[in-house]
Amino acid sequence: MADPILKIEGLEVAVDNTPILKGVDLEVPQGEVHALMGPNGSGKSTLAYALAGHPRYEITGGSVMFGGQDLADMGADERAQAGLFLAMQYPVEVPGVSVMNFLRTAVNATRGEEVPVREFARLFKEKSDLLTFDPSFADRYLNEGFSGGEKKRHEILQMALLEPAFAILDETDSGLDVDALRIVAEGVNAQRGPDLGVLIITHYTRILNYIRPDVVHVMFDGRIARTGGPDLADHLEEKGYVEFGSAETAAAPR
Amino acid sequence: MADAPTWADDARSAATAALDALPALTGAEEQWRFTPPADLDMNGDTPAGVAAGTGTVALPAASGRAARLAFADGTPDPAEILDLPDGVIVSELGAALETHEALVRDRLYSLAGFDDRPGALNGAGWDAGTFVFVPRGVEVTLPIETILTATGATGRVFGRTLVIVEEGAKATVIDRYLSPDLDGVVQASTVVELFVADGGELEHVSYIGWGRGVRHQATIRAAAGKDARVRSVNVTLGGDVVRVEPTVYCRGTGADARALGLYFATGDQHFEHRVVSRHEAPQTYSNLLYKGAIQDTAHTVFFGNLVVPPGAPGTDAYQTNRNLILNEGARADTIPFLEIETAEVKCSHAGAVGRVDDEHLFYLMSRGVPEREAKHLIVYGFFQEVLDEISFDALREELEAAARAKVR
Repeated sequence: MADPILKIEGLEVAVDNTPILKGVDLEVPQGEVHALMGPNGSGKSTLAYALAGHPRYEITGGSVMFGGQDLADMGADERAQAGLFLAMQYPVEVPGVSVMNFLRTAVNATRGEEVPVREFARLFKEKSDLLTFDPSFADRYLNEGFSGGEKKRHEILQMALLEPAFAILDETDSGLDVDALRIVAEGVNAQRGPDLGVLIITHYTRILNYIRPDVVHVMFDGRIARTGGPDLADHLEEKGYVEFGSAETAAAPR
Repeated sequence: MADAPTWADDARSAATAALDALPALTGAEEQWRFTPPADLDMNGDTPAGVAAGTGTVALPAASGRAARLAFADGTPDPAEILDLPDGVIVSELGAALETHEALVRDRLYSLAGFDDRPGALNGAGWDAGTFVFVPRGVEVTLPIETILTATGATGRVFGRTLVIVEEGAKATVIDRYLSPDLDGVVQASTVVELFVADGGELEHVSYIGWGRGVRHQATIRAAAGKDARVRSVNVTLGGDVVRVEPTVYCRGTGADARALGLYFATGDQHFEHRVVSRHEAPQTYSNLLYKGAIQDTAHTVFFGNLVVPPGAPGTDAYQTNRNLILNEGARADTIPFLEIETAEVKCSHAGAVGRVDDEHLFYLMSRGVPEREAKHLIVYGFFQEVLDEISFDALREELEAAARAKVR
C-alpha cells in the first residue's frame, strides 16, 4: 500500500465557535479514490472546507498531514500550491474576472512559474474540450451566469489544469443531470491514476456508479461512523442512514 | 503667449483680477471639507518655478491615435497629426486663440470661468493648451490625445483643453497626465471644456498617471446638446493629492451623459472626485458610475450630485459609487447627493464602501493564488464594469494594463 497522501487524526473543527467535527480519523493512500458519505449536517462539507483552509473553519484539535506536511500551518493558497484541490459545492461568482485570466493566474501560482502563453493555450484547449466547453467560455466572467452544470464542469476543468496530488469533490454531483454527471465523471476518471488521491463527498450513491471508489466512509455527527468497500455504498443506497441514527431512510434520490 | 489677441489677454487679466478678488480658501468651505485647499495650492502660496527634481517621461507610442499633442512642463512638442479627416482641427490652444478665434472665443472659459479659485488660477496661468474641433457630421475613428508631462524642472504645470464636436460629429479625446516619481512637489492645474452639439458624440478620457510628488486639481466640464451623447471617463491612479471635478450638463432634450470613473489609491495617496450631472432640459439621461479601490493608508472621497432644476421633466438619472477597502487603515468616504426640483423624474443614487468578499478571496486562494495577488485580481474584476464601457478596445487594454502596473 502506498503512503497516505492524506492522514487525518482526531480532527476537531469549529465554525463560529460551534463544534462540527468531533474527532475525525481518515486516511487516503495516494492513488486511491475514497467516498465520504453521510446524511445532511453530518459534517462532510465542513471537513472539505477545513482541509482547503477556509478561514471560518477553525481546527480546534487533532491533526491533518498532507503529503508529510502539517496543513494547520498553511494558508489556503499554500495548500493549493502543495497540491490540494477542492471542487466546491457552490463556486462563487467573481465579477469582472475572466475565466482565462483566473485560470492562468491559478496555473502559474500552483506551478510556481509563468507558463508560456502558447503552452497554456494548448493546455486550456485540451482540457476544455475534455469537459465540453466552448472556446468563448474563456472570456466569460468567473462563474457569472454559469448554469449549475457549467459551474461543476468548470470546477473539474480547474482540477484538470492544476493537476493536484489530491482532490476533494464536494457534492460535485448535486444539481447535475445525467449527461452533465457523465461529463464530470469522465473528467475525473481521465485524471485517475497513481499520482492522484480523491475524496468524493456525496449524499447519494449516484456519482459512485460513474466513479467507482476503492473505499467508502460514512460520516455521522462529526465522526467517521463506518468504513468499508464499494459495497457499503450499495448497502446505503438500499438502507439509507437510518442505522446510524438518521431519520433519512434512503441514500438515493427518489 | 506674448502675442495673444487682445480678447485673450483681457480674459487672462480678468482671471488674475478674480484671483485677487476671490477670498482665500481655508478648508472650512463645505466643498473643501475633505481636501485641504493648501495641499493643492489653491491660494497660490507656493512660489512657482521651484524645481522638484529632474526626470524624464517615456512617452507611449503615438500609434493608434488620430493625432497627438504632447507638452513637457508646458512646452509643446511638435504636434503629431497622423490620421485626421478633412476639416478636423487639432492645434495648440495658444495658437488657436488667433488662428481659430471664431471657434474658440465664444466657447473658451464659458463652461469653466473664473468664478472660483481653481478656475481663476487656471485661467490666469495655463500654457499647455489643446484645441480640438470636429466639424458637423465628421467622425474621427481613432482617439485624439493630449499628453501633459511634468519632469520636475518647474514646480507648476497648467493644462487646458477645449473640444468642440459639432452637430452629428463623433470623436474620442484623451487627456493623459504623466510624470516620473519626483523628490519635490509639482502643482498641476487643468481645465477641460467639452462642447457636444446636437446629435454629436464624444468620449473623453482623463487618465491621471502622475508619479510621486504631483498634486493636481482637475476640472472637467461637458455640455451635451439635443440628442448628443457624452461619456466622461476618469481614471485616477497617480499623484499624491488629486482632486477631479467633472460636471456634465444635459442642455438639449434627449441628451445622454455618462460619467464613469475608476481610482486606485495606494500608499498615502489622497484622491477626491466630485462628480455632478445637471439636467437643464427635459427628457435627458445621465448615469454616474465611479468605482475605487483603496490600499495601505490611502484615502479617497467621492461626492456625487444629480441636479435637476425646475423645467426638466422626464429626467432619468442614476449615480453609483462603490469602494473596495483592501486593508485596515485605508479609507473611503462616499457622499451621493440629489437636488431635484422637478416632478416626474426617475433618479437613484447609491454609495457603498466595503471590503473584499471573504468567499471571493477564499475561492481564488484555494487555487493557489496568494492573498495579495488574489485581492488585486478581485480589484481588477471590480473595475471591469467601468472599463467595459470604454468603447475603444486598445484604450481599454491600455488602462487595464496601467491599473495592473500600479501595484507590480
